[in-house]
Amino acid sequence: MASNSSSGNATKRLYILGAILCFWVTIVGLRLVQLQIFQYGQFERRAMKQQQRTTEISPSRGVIYDRNGHELAMSIMGNSVFSVPSEVPDRSTTASLIARILKADPREIEKTFDCPRNVCPVVRKIDPGLGSRIAALNLRGIYVQPEPKRYYPKGELASHLLGYVGMEDEGLAGLEYAYDSKLKGKKGTIVISMDARKRRFDSAEKDPVPGENLVLTIDEKIQYIAERELEQAMQDTHAEAGTVVVQNPHTGEILALANRPTFNPNVSRKITPAELKNHAVSDVFEPGSVFKIVTYSAALEEGLETPDSPIDCQGGLIVVNGLRIHDLHKMGTVPVSEALAKSSDVAAVKVGLKLGDDRFYRYIRSYGFGSQTGIELPGETRGLAKPVSKWSKVSIDAMSIGQEIGVTPLQLVSMVSTIANDGIYLPPRIIAGATKPTAGPQTIAFHPASGHRVVSTMTAAEMKKMMEGVVLFGTAKRAILDGYSSAGKTGTAQKVDPATHRYSQTKYVASFVGFAPVNNPAVTILVSLDSPFGLHQGGQVSAPVFRRVAQQVLAYLRIPHDVEMRDPKRLLLQAKAKDEDLNDNSPDHVGAPLDFDEDAKADAAASQVAKAEPTGATVLKPASQTIVNTRPDLNTLASASPPAPSAPTGALPPNGTVVLDVSDGAVVPSFLGKSMRSVIETAQTEGIEVDAFGSGLAREQSPPPGARMPAGRRVAVRFGR
Amino acid sequence: MQRFISFRDFDWVLLAFVLLISAVGVVEIYSATLHTKFVGAHIRQIYWIMAGLVLMLVISRISYQTLLEAVPWMYVISIVSLLSVLLFGQKYLGARRWIRIGGATHFQPSEWVKLILILAMAKYFAEYRQREMSFFDLVKAGSVVGVPMLLVLAQPDMGTALTYLPIAVMALFLGGMKGKHAAAIVLSLAMVAIPAWKFGLKQYQKDRLTVFLNPDSDPQHKGYQVNQSLIAVGSGGIWGKGTTQGTQTQGLFLPVPHTDFIFAAFSEEHGFVGALGILLLYFMVLMRLIQNAQTAPDRAGAFVVMGVVAVLLFHILVNVGMVVGFMPVTGIPLPLMSYGGSSVLFTFLALGIVMNVRMRRFVN
Repeated sequence: MASNSSSGNATKRLYILGAILCFWVTIVGLRLVQLQIFQYGQFERRAMKQQQRTTEISPSRGVIYDRNGHELAMSIMGNSVFSVPSEVPDRSTTASLIARILKADPREIEKTFDCPRNVCPVVRKIDPGLGSRIAALNLRGIYVQPEPKRYYPKGELASHLLGYVGMEDEGLAGLEYAYDSKLKGKKGTIVISMDARKRRFDSAEKDPVPGENLVLTIDEKIQYIAERELEQAMQDTHAEAGTVVVQNPHTGEILALANRPTFNPNVSRKITPAELKNHAVSDVFEPGSVFKIVTYSAALEEGLETPDSPIDCQGGLIVVNGLRIHDLHKMGTVPVSEALAKSSDVAAVKVGLKLGDDRFYRYIRSYGFGSQTGIELPGETRGLAKPVSKWSKVSIDAMSIGQEIGVTPLQLVSMVSTIANDGIYLPPRIIAGATKPTAGPQTIAFHPASGHRVVSTMTAAEMKKMMEGVVLFGTAKRAILDGYSSAGKTGTAQKVDPATHRYSQTKYVASFVGFAPVNNPAVTILVSLDSPFGLHQGGQVSAPVFRRVAQQVLAYLRIPHDVEMRDPKRLLLQAKAKDEDLNDNSPDHVGAPLDFDEDAKADAAASQVAKAEPTGATVLKPASQTIVNTRPDLNTLASASPPAPSAPTGALPPNGTVVLDVSDGAVVPSFLGKSMRSVIETAQTEGIEVDAFGSGLAREQSPPPGARMPAGRRVAVRFGR
Repeated sequence: MQRFISFRDFDWVLLAFVLLISAVGVVEIYSATLHTKFVGAHIRQIYWIMAGLVLMLVISRISYQTLLEAVPWMYVISIVSLLSVLLFGQKYLGARRWIRIGGATHFQPSEWVKLILILAMAKYFAEYRQREMSFFDLVKAGSVVGVPMLLVLAQPDMGTALTYLPIAVMALFLGGMKGKHAAAIVLSLAMVAIPAWKFGLKQYQKDRLTVFLNPDSDPQHKGYQVNQSLIAVGSGGIWGKGTTQGTQTQGLFLPVPHTDFIFAAFSEEHGFVGALGILLLYFMVLMRLIQNAQTAPDRAGAFVVMGVVAVLLFHILVNVGMVVGFMPVTGIPLPLMSYGGSSVLFTFLALGIVMNVRMRRFVN
């Protein structure tokens, strides 16, 4: 090698070159660190985005069963039509062809092609028959995909419990909303890998996971009875709203919960907020006389009174701290039990005063007022039970007769169930359990939530007896059952007019809460009617609903009779109820009983008791007579159709088909031998509404196949295995 | 003299590194062409590599001194062949680069001119030994490289023309170019470059040269290749997606994954670890070459080896720089890995000359 200065220089320059090389490798190495380690996620996403197209597959939503495994909400297969607008060659022709099948406006269809995405929905969840006809057109750029569709086979039945779902099958109300995460399951995906020329070269499928099924404590048939009788009551009384709750007092299970106004969850577009309201859990109202059960049971429990101890009703007037409280039915000294039966406000106030604020408040809370019952339905309110510190001097008087306190129908029914359940409060429950998606209907052991004792068994027994007296001799003679003993309490509360914050003179909440049979109650039933027109007292409008519901439910549950059928004494008592209306002298009256002396007005105003209308002794309208007279059947209904567990003849007997009149109209198709799903799908295409009972294959139907049926009538189909 | 030449002095370590890179390249070509019409290219690449090895052996037998003596003739021949390409060459994709030599075989003279320029530079700078490099030397060396460069630019093939530049730069650098001369050249090049940029280049050429700075400005067209390359590299992560598993490569998103963008394909399928490994292999090869230059028997030998280093370094630098978004997209393949006969044969031939020099290090 040449050994001169320039060669040494060259060697030096070689080292420089080596250094540059090292430097370069470092720089590129760092760049790789940046790209492949720090920005890995970003590039990974970009790679995915251009290589993969993900299509979601909707899972089948869980079924909601009643306690006997009857489907209340289920998913059936529908068809959805999508367009890929870039592939559609001739928009107007395509649109008009689709429109012809859907019987829709072609322009509306054409508009759907203008969505900003690659794939536009044309119409979702239509009948599979229509879907296959569109698919048969074989239009370019139009795709028909199966998509599960929520279907409520019983229509409006228990709609407030079930709620409804939106277009994406997302629960929007009721249990569908509250249990959405359980019911909805997990979406499946199809991931299609595509190359740069949009050819697929790989695809991976993840199956959707169906949602869990819910089993309710609701009994479809009891629910049906409750709904039908409530509907009847709504028609009879022209009430604005109404609620019927049926509970098993020994477990806290809600067997039926009906509300009016109602909605059909299958037609979710048309639902209004008023229809959607679940009055049983979200309405707060002053319970009125029903609340006296709390007052009296607390006093019995504390040993302050016995059912037979005398109490002076002071001729129907008491003045406490300047507050005047009247009884409509003026009485002197009577036994405590009679004071309750006749719903004396004076007596209740006196009992309340004996209890004192703190003790009374403790019982109020112990019965569950002022806190949520914890029922699994959304939108439950706590009600309004002020702590003692916020009470005024007259609060205890008002509360003793069920004013100045806000309760929900559900709290009220739970309170009465506490008495029926020998003094142990059980929180109401509506979910019996959840089952695996594939399980199908199955029996679930319901475990009642842990309860607590409010009053002793002794007190509860005494209260039962006293409440039976309310039915037999007091304000609720219309709640007398045939063949069963019953107990309960009526309540009529004036509504507070939201505009004036004063008690309304015309709007009442008429309620009745009772149970039967008295000694071993099978059901507790609450009936609450909001603003009935005309007759408006709990004993007049709500007690008959209780009677009709209880009579049918007890028969359906095959509860043994505990009193004689068609007992003449009871029939006589029942008849007396009618007379009392005529006498316009019903004592179940809370309407504006609170009147202030002039000097007490300031004090009362400070206590925020929103009321104080002039004393109105004429709360009952003369019109009520006419109304009763025009509906004589209302009072004779129970005796006209004596129910017997062995051979019931109610509109929904446990083991028969609903018989409907057959007259001119559409020809009824045959559903016999079909599964419920295919029955429903057939009915949908025929435009017929179906009431489905049981499960399995269709065994009976009414009207029979081939019969003519007027539009709007429903076909009852009974399924059996 | 012949008896002193022995294959014991062959650089087996260098050959091992080279063959390792080539083997990795073959596997990656296989993976990258799996779903394309080029399927099976890896087999052809193996043939090219074998041919390259034979060429390497042959060229190592002929003393580089002999080659250097023949340089003037070879230089004349290359100028003539470049001219004939311009006149009779096959036009393909808007450029005349190839001469057809029977059947489907095409010959791209510009590739071989590189080798001749390496030898020419070595010969030129070996001849003056003691005197300082004058400005006249500079101009002379510049025009030796400049003439063929202009001819290739006229094809037009900017990528290949640019590969001639490092040969001159390396020779000048090692030849002891003065700092002021270097500064003068850089300054004058800049003065030429600015008007050339403004008036000489068409818009699409300018875009091609600048889009790498911001590939997202036009991700579907001008920035597409850079973008896809970056996505491929970045989504490879640390360990890569595995051979034949790279979605960018297999899904044809990555342009020419078996030639110019083979490093991107490799980075996607073998991740950071693989990419860094390949970089280190190239680094070892280049360092080994530089070591060979240091032990060369004479100044001419050292210049020959360093000329090869210059060309390989330039290729690797520009190709990898392009893949990782440091440099504009120019059609410069990655030596030893990219598929292509010309590239493989040139690389092995160049390495053969390096072997040639090394085997004769104890001769003089």
